[in-house]
Amino acid sequence: MASNVEHSPFFQQQKAKGAIVVKDPPKFDLESYISNYDGFTRLERLHHIGSSSTYLAVDTYHMAISEAKRGKKTKLYTTLAEELAQIAPGDPASLTDTAWVEKKNRDLKIEHDKLDHELRTYKNNLIKESIRMGNEDLGHFCFASGNYGDAYKAYQRMREHCTSNKHISDMTLRLVYVSIAQKQWLAVQSHLVKVDSSQQQKPEDKAKLDPIVSSCHGLAQMSAGNFREAATYFISTHPSYMQLEVVAGIAWQREVLTANDVAVYGGLCALASMDRSELQNQVLANTDFRNFLELEPHIRRAITLFCNSKYSACLEILEGYRTDYLLDVYLSRVLSAIYNKIRTKSIVQYFIPFSCVTLDEMAKKFQLTPEYGTIEDELEDMINSGVLDARIDLVDRLLISPPTNPRYEVLTEALTMAEEYDHTLRLRLTRLNMQHTGLEVRPEKSGGKEGILSGGEGGLGASLRGFSSRMGFS
Amino acid sequence: MSAELLNVLFAFQPDAPALKQKVQYDKAARQFVQQVSNIAPQHFSKGADTPQDVFELLDPTTNSIAYIYALLARIGTATDGFKLSKGISDQVRPGGSLWNRMVIFVDSFDPIQIRYAGNAWRRLLDEVDKIARLTGMAALAISPIRSALLRLDPASGTFTLTHLHFIRLCMETRSYVAALPILDNYIHTIPGQLPQIVLTELEYSVPGADHTNSGEYIHHKSGHSDKVNILDVQEYYLLGAMAYIGLRQFKKAKEFLEHVLISPTSNVANGYMLEAYKKWVLCSCLALGGVKSIPRTVNGPALKQMRAVSKAYDALGQAFVQLGNLPKLRAQINAGKDLWLEDGNTGLVNELRDQQYRFYVSRLSRTFSAIPVSNIASNLGGSAEELTAYLEKEIKDGHQNAVLEQTDQGVVLRFFLNPTEGPLAKSEKQQQQALFEQTQRTNTLADEVKSADYRLSLTREYMEHLRRASKKMSAAGVTEAMDTTWDDGGEAEEDIMGDMH
Repeated sequence: MASNVEHSPFFQQQKAKGAIVVKDPPKFDLESYISNYDGFTRLERLHHIGSSSTYLAVDTYHMAISEAKRGKKTKLYTTLAEELAQIAPGDPASLTDTAWVEKKNRDLKIEHDKLDHELRTYKNNLIKESIRMGNEDLGHFCFASGNYGDAYKAYQRMREHCTSNKHISDMTLRLVYVSIAQKQWLAVQSHLVKVDSSQQQKPEDKAKLDPIVSSCHGLAQMSAGNFREAATYFISTHPSYMQLEVVAGIAWQREVLTANDVAVYGGLCALASMDRSELQNQVLANTDFRNFLELEPHIRRAITLFCNSKYSACLEILEGYRTDYLLDVYLSRVLSAIYNKIRTKSIVQYFIPFSCVTLDEMAKKFQLTPEYGTIEDELEDMINSGVLDARIDLVDRLLISPPTNPRYEVLTEALTMAEEYDHTLRLRLTRLNMQHTGLEVRPEKSGGKEGILSGGEGGLGASLRGFSSRMGFS
Repeated sequence: MSAELLNVLFAFQPDAPALKQKVQYDKAARQFVQQVSNIAPQHFSKGADTPQDVFELLDPTTNSIAYIYALLARIGTATDGFKLSKGISDQVRPGGSLWNRMVIFVDSFDPIQIRYAGNAWRRLLDEVDKIARLTGMAALAISPIRSALLRLDPASGTFTLTHLHFIRLCMETRSYVAALPILDNYIHTIPGQLPQIVLTELEYSVPGADHTNSGEYIHHKSGHSDKVNILDVQEYYLLGAMAYIGLRQFKKAKEFLEHVLISPTSNVANGYMLEAYKKWVLCSCLALGGVKSIPRTVNGPALKQMRAVSKAYDALGQAFVQLGNLPKLRAQINAGKDLWLEDGNTGLVNELRDQQYRFYVSRLSRTFSAIPVSNIASNLGGSAEELTAYLEKEIKDGHQNAVLEQTDQGVVLRFFLNPTEGPLAKSEKQQQQALFEQTQRTNTLADEVKSADYRLSLTREYMEHLRRASKKMSAAGVTEAMDTTWDDGGEAEEDIMGDMH
């Protein structure tokens, strides 16, 4: 079965597109994993897992399709059914229920027209609050039917009809939410900044909003590849996030990121971007973040191991969870970057106290990843990209820390710099002399632009050609 | 040889006590040049090849002015009416008696006197150039012209058209090494206008005075050079760069090309600049291993124009640095074959292909301390034996700081990690010496800048500016004029190499 799924046309296509395809079974249980989520992210995560894991594909698609049929996203339903048809042809769920789709589409159209009509009436009545609510309803409706672009527009139209701070912060949070669904990370960031700056409200509101802002910021930064910033945001997220009430109609810890997600994302970003003392002081010793870490003990163990310089054990743990994380909708895109960073950092840290290590020892300490055939290749790449300052001795199979000679370097540097300045000064003086004597290249009046470039070339080109053909090495 | 003529010719004695003052000397020299240049050529021909020959009587060093006019007159008579090589008399052919006298003269004339006989000096060298070409022995003119240039101005730092003729001659005869003594000297001055008063009346600035900078006696009125235009200067640098390319001194070639690229321009590039840009891209690769930033003084719009028509070269430059993808450069070189040929750059492009290996090996030295040659060979494709021979040559030529060792794994290339070890090691002493030499070069350059500053301060525009500035200042009640001199007085420079003097 599994091999059938793997060779199905759908996964072949995914592979050809360069998308991630995971064969190994993950550690988590799909049912309990997905029960942590609600809202749009539930369907999105199911879809991601289904289209990435050959092991879970069929089950997940079944769940996703039945989930989609309960909602309003007809387009997504059609896609899901079509994809399943490619994975497991003949599966009863893979037959698109066209009757349902048509009926649903009709219903949606009617509902949309109704809301639109209502909004128009409100606008005619010029009651601000009604217009705001009309827009909000339309936004909710568009969001639920998967039309994120229109939802975004509808929410944005609420802006001028907001009368209180709460309205504004609700609206901005809604915009953040839609932007996350659209994966528009720059928009997420800019709206989060607005949430932050519009906070003139009461301290209890601030306490409520802050964890949301920092966790979403972290997510946006992580997805944009800024792991250090992401780590800072995640680890500053207040543990009250776990028991957060519904804000702006969204249960953030169920509909966007669970507390477990915060722990995993934050821990991995921190591992990828911080050094040992920072990890110790800012992550492990952080009382706020400890609450999150307790949810994901293996992440805490990995960080502790890294701090204790047990790099290979740390990497082993992370490797064990690679499949799980690849099936995470946000993590999958950046996971290999994060893992590579952790790995290279481990190697660099490991090598610091040594002047010389055998390559076999390195290979034993750091399990090879599928990207590189041998540890030499990986080290070579690291040295070439300037991450690791070392030399490889392929004959005696050693990794050597190069000797430094500051005196020599300073002298060489001084000499190069002096020569460079000298040359620059000469160029400037030549130019000045030319200007002084009125020498200047002027456009020829008769010819156009073309004439200038080809102008002197007839004779010149010919003579140059003559020279170079006679030059020694032609 | 009439006594009267001799009287005239000996009238100017540079060592005479009456001419101790430079202004006096200046006046006398001017007058004398005037007189001698008016003597009809036939007077010099009297008594030729007898003990009464004018050349026997005159000494090339003390009577340089008279001698050079005599030479010119005699050469003129000998070549008169003949334009074809067979018509040139044996006397003036290289190896002939007149030619030999000329060769002796350019090695021994008095540079101070010749400052006044610029016109004759230029004509003489033009004749030499012409005769050598007509007789098909152009290479023989190189050495006399070079001697004349260096004798007049040991630093040959003021540009004259003779510079250009000289380098053309060198290029045509492929005598690149012969061009070096001139090319290695930086052109610090282009002859321009100097006010009359400076030239004739001031004790320390007349041509005969002790000048450190040749720009003060070679200018547009001294006759040493025809009017120079920008194309002449650009051509000189371009040809000079090609001479360096011929000698495989790519760094110097690149620097020469930059002199063409920075030409002042009203937002257009000319053909020379375009040629220079193309070669500059290639030379940068060869000298530095990749295209580095272009000098900032290059005119922006002109650069854009040049880049627009040299895309193929830029692409080559990009391919050259991709040491992980060696076949790419090869493919590009092949694809552009006709283009390189048309631009006359085939040789240089092929050099690019050959030298990429060198940079590849250099990069290895930053990654490996030792690597079996067979490993490199399998990466590059090719046999280990060929590669060993290549590496051996590279090490011998001083391109890699490494040794080849024979081990049980075959031949191994071992790099020296410490820059003070290995065949290319430099001791601290050598480094200091290099720094010391650089300091001296920079100091010379500073003098040249000062002199350029002086010349600029003599221009009408600057005077105008000063006048306006002083007016403004007196209006504002400030009495003291701003000190615009370049030097901040005294020995202010830090003498870092003091202990080495």
